[in-house]
Amino acid sequence: MLRRVLTVAVVIITALLLQSTIFAQIKLLGVRPELLYLVTIVIAILEGPQEGAIVGFAGGMMQDFLLNQPKGITALTLTLLGYAIGMARQYIVSPSPLLPTFLVGVGTAAGIAFYEIVAFLLGQLDEPLGYSVKVILLTAIYNAVLTPIFYPLLRRMFEGSRPQRVVRF
Amino acid sequence: MVVLVSISLAVITLDYRQGQSGPLAGLGRTARAGMAPLQEAVTTVTRPIGNFFSGLAHLPSLADENQRLKDDLAASKAQNETTAFVQQQYKDLLDLLGLQQSLDPKAVPAVVIANGVSNFEWTVTIDKGSADGITANMPVVAGTALSPLLVGIVVATTEHSADVQLMLDRSWSAAAVLGSSREAGEVRGQGDADLRMSLVTPGTEITGNEAVFTLAYQASGRPGLYPTGLLIGQVSRTVPSDNSIEEFVDVRPAVDFATLQFVLVLQTSTGNEAP
Repeated sequence: MLRRVLTVAVVIITALLLQSTIFAQIKLLGVRPELLYLVTIVIAILEGPQEGAIVGFAGGMMQDFLLNQPKGITALTLTLLGYAIGMARQYIVSPSPLLPTFLVGVGTAAGIAFYEIVAFLLGQLDEPLGYSVKVILLTAIYNAVLTPIFYPLLRRMFEGSRPQRVVRF
Repeated sequence: MVVLVSISLAVITLDYRQGQSGPLAGLGRTARAGMAPLQEAVTTVTRPIGNFFSGLAHLPSLADENQRLKDDLAASKAQNETTAFVQQQYKDLLDLLGLQQSLDPKAVPAVVIANGVSNFEWTVTIDKGSADGITANMPVVAGTALSPLLVGIVVATTEHSADVQLMLDRSWSAAAVLGSSREAGEVRGQGDADLRMSLVTPGTEITGNEAVFTLAYQASGRPGLYPTGLLIGQVSRTVPSDNSIEEFVDVRPAVDFATLQFVLVLQTSTGNEAP
């Protein structure tokens, strides 16, 4: 259990560090990826809705604390996103290796759109519609492109951190 | 799931009501303080990689940029001949008027160690904080203290780091004046696009590339936080207006935020304690 918690903490902090440093310089038409959305969706695919929601909440809250706007919006978004993707994954039967990429793209777009709506309703988003749509589309594409790189890494990390069943004779 | 959503909603409500004075804001400062050394370490290692990819992205425009810079250099050399004399006169006058404190304040050098994590906030994190005398609402510039280019303003501090809101941010604004026509107005951030200067009197003759400087006036109901004379940028175009009350002018920032590494925090008297 402790190993599991540590793995989640390391993944979240690493994602935030990469997003605020190297990926802040490697933008796609002015937009950076949302690595915590990617991480939440991938973990929801691998581990199911409950784990997806927990990791989404923890990562979202951590990201919120680094922003200068009301805390909790990203946490709410990622909690719902992790749960929704985890639930959806249970009903999708596809052997396609592109499934995670597709889910990350669609999930990121839906998540960012939800975030923008909540932030707008709270008076925290002052972006024109064109920019908001651009961020939704480009972030979804960027995250989808990064999925083939991050998905195997995260799968290996989380499979390695699962509690081992001990058989006693 | 229900529990986590409920906690998120409670946190949003609490933080929205308490603003920068509540316990959640304190947790935020703690989180930022914890992340700052890690971000500094990662930036030190990865900056060359980022610069490489950033350079690739700008490759097609480098030839034009090179020619433009050569032209600028030639013009600057000619201008420098007279600048030293004018600067000395300027400084003498400032001393005479006792305004040096507000126009030429003490500056703390700092290194940019990270960018903001959101696509909806234009901020950077620097490696100096309250322990170095930096407080919220202090202006941040690049270049030197004698020829400062405005970068933004400190919005939050921890002991050893500070968040700087760049003037690109849509919630940023400042009073400004056009260098040649002396027309005053208000400049606002527009995200990745050029800044937008409003309240310009219609019919004002604006020359291309006209410089835009800060004014120490109040803007958008906020007190004047910037000393007069910080260079914001150059006029990139005038925007046709639908009304006869004001004109708009787009201003290209003088600072290249993509390559921003070193900044100066001006310790003006307008800075206050971090919330």
